[in-house]
Amino acid sequence: MKALPLILFALISLAQWAVPLSQIFRYEQTLSKGTLIRLKCSAPDPYDPLRGRYLAVRPDQDDVAIAKSAKLHRGQHAYATLKTGTDGLTVLDELQAEPPASGDFVRVTVRWESEGKAHIEWPFDRFYLNEALAPEADKWFAESIRGSKGVIAEVRVHHGTAVLENLTFDGKSFREILKQRVN
Amino acid sequence: MNASHHRWLHDQLPQWERDSLVTAENAAMLRHRHPVDDSQPGVAQLIMGALGALLIGAGLIAVIGYNWDDFTRPVRLLFAFLPLLSSQVFSSIVLRKGDSVAAWVRETAAMLQTMATGACIALVSQIYHLGGQWPDFLFAWLLLSLPLVWLLRSTSVAIFYLIAIAEWSIHQCDLGKVWHHSPLIYPLLLLGLFPFWPGLRLDKPLSVTLRWIMAWSAVFGLGAAAYFATQQHFDRSWGHEEVFFALGAFTAAAITLFPLSPNALAAPSRHKPQIVLGFLYLLVFGITNTFLESGDDIVKGYAAAAKMPWAWVLIAAAAMFAFQALRTHRWAVLAVSSITLVPLVGLVFGTNASAAIPWLMTLHLLALGITLIVLEFSGRRGAPRLGAALLSILLIARMCESDLSLLAKGLAFIVIGVAFLIFNMFMGRLKARLTHPQP
Repeated sequence: MKALPLILFALISLAQWAVPLSQIFRYEQTLSKGTLIRLKCSAPDPYDPLRGRYLAVRPDQDDVAIAKSAKLHRGQHAYATLKTGTDGLTVLDELQAEPPASGDFVRVTVRWESEGKAHIEWPFDRFYLNEALAPEADKWFAESIRGSKGVIAEVRVHHGTAVLENLTFDGKSFREILKQRVN
Repeated sequence: MNASHHRWLHDQLPQWERDSLVTAENAAMLRHRHPVDDSQPGVAQLIMGALGALLIGAGLIAVIGYNWDDFTRPVRLLFAFLPLLSSQVFSSIVLRKGDSVAAWVRETAAMLQTMATGACIALVSQIYHLGGQWPDFLFAWLLLSLPLVWLLRSTSVAIFYLIAIAEWSIHQCDLGKVWHHSPLIYPLLLLGLFPFWPGLRLDKPLSVTLRWIMAWSAVFGLGAAAYFATQQHFDRSWGHEEVFFALGAFTAAAITLFPLSPNALAAPSRHKPQIVLGFLYLLVFGITNTFLESGDDIVKGYAAAAKMPWAWVLIAAAAMFAFQALRTHRWAVLAVSSITLVPLVGLVFGTNASAAIPWLMTLHLLALGITLIVLEFSGRRGAPRLGAALLSILLIARMCESDLSLLAKGLAFIVIGVAFLIFNMFMGRLKARLTHPQP
C-alpha cells in the first residue's frame, strides 16, 4: 500500500512533463517541417505579468469568407486555406469546417459570423521580447511605422498548426533592428 | 472547537489542576477528548510555508519573464524544466518520508511543485510565442496540480485549486462555448476535491477557512454556470435576468440542502458556510418576490427555466438532497429551501399567477418565520433570530409598498424595531439560562 502513493506521484510527475513536452514536439515539428508564410500585421508593445514583455501581433486580415459548403458558428474552430498575393504576402482564402485534404491551412477560431464572412481569432497573437529590448520597440514604432511597409510576421504552418517564427521590417529581423538600436 | 482552542485548553489544564478547578482524572479526560494534533500545521507555519513557496514560484516566473534572448531555444527549455524537476524530486522525498515530515514542509513541497508546473507551461508558451488564452493555461495548470492535494494532503494547493476552478468558470462564460469547455463542468471540477467534501468521513476535519473558500468557490462557479446556461438558452449575452435569478434560487437550494454528517450537523452555523450563503440568497429571493410588481418576472423566469436542462440538473440535485434532509430531520433547512417551490405553486393560477405569487410568497415567508421560531421552542433545531428577522423584514417590505403616511410608516418601523430588540434580549437570556442551569 505504501508504494501506491509513490506510483501515483510518478504518474502525476510524468503528466506534468507530458503537457509541455507534447507542446514542444508539435511546435518543433511545425518549425522544422512547416511552410513559411508571410503576413502583414501591426505589433504594439504590451506586457504579460506571467510571461513578460511582448509585441501584440495583429495580422491585418481578420475577416474571411466562409466556404459555401461550411456552416460555422461562434466559438467554433475552423480551417482557413491560404493563398499568396502578388506582393508575396499570404492572405486567408476561405474558411472550412473540416481540414482541407491538401494544401496549407491554418486552424483558427470563429469569433462571430455574418453574411457569409467570419471574424476570426488567429492562433498566435504575441511575439515575446527581451525586457531590455521591449521599450525600444515602442520608440521604434512611433518613429518608423507610419510608412507603407508595415511589419511582416513570418509564420510556419504545418497540418493547421501555426507558429510565429519571426517579425521582420523591410526584410530585416525585427529583433536585430532593436538590438542595433540598443547597442 | 478548532485546533487553536484545543491547544489553549492544554495550556490551561496544568494551572486548573493546581488551582483544584479540575481533578487529574478530569484533566486527563479533557486531554483525551480534545487532543492536540501536532501533525497538523499551525496556521502561521502553514502560511509561512505556502508564502515561501509562492515567492519562489513568483521569482521563477519573473526570471522567465525577462526572456533570455542570448540563449538558444534548447537552453531556455532547460530553464523551464529544471525547476519542475527539482520540485518533483523534493516532493518525492517528502512523500517517501511520510508522516515523519513536518506538515509545513509537505505544504511547501506541494506549493513549489504547483508553481513550477505553471512556470514550465508559461515558459514553453513564451519560447514558441504562443498566444493562448489565460483560461486554457489555468485549466491545464489546475488539473496538473489537483493530484498534489490528494497525495501531499496540501491545504494551500486545495485553496489554489478552488480559486482557480471558480476563476476558470467565470472566464468561460462566453457565448458559443461547448458545454464540456464551459462553467457547466464546474461541479465535476469540484468533485476533484472529493475527499475534502463536507459530510464525508475524513481522517481529519476540514478547516473552517477551507470550508468558506470552498463555499465561495461554489457560489462563483455555479453562478457562472447559471449565467452561461441562460445566455446559451437565449443565444444572447444580455437580458433575461429573471431566469438567472430563478436558476440562482435552484442553485442556492441545492447548496443549502447539501448532505452533512451527524458531526457537521451539530457544528455551529459559521462552520457551515454553504448553509449561511444559501440562506442569504433564498431569503433575498423570497423577500424580492413578495413585491407586487415582481410577479411577472418570476413567472417568466420559472417558465423559461423549465425549458433549460441545467435547471433540471439543479432541481434533481436539490430533490435528492431534500430527500436526505428529510431523513435526517433538517427541518429549518428544508423550510428555507421550500421558498423555491412557491412560484411553482403560484403557476397553478394560470394567467393570474403573476398576481398570486407575491401574496403566496408573503404568506409562505410569514409561516416560515413563525416555524423557525417555534421549532426552537419545541425542542428541535430552529433558527429563532433568523425567524424574527424574517418577520421584521417582511413587515418593513409591506410597509414600504403600502400607501400609508410617512408618520404611520415611521411609527410602525419603531414598533417593529423595539419588538425585535426585546425578542433578541429574550433569546439571549433564554440561551444563557440553558447554558448555565440554575442550581
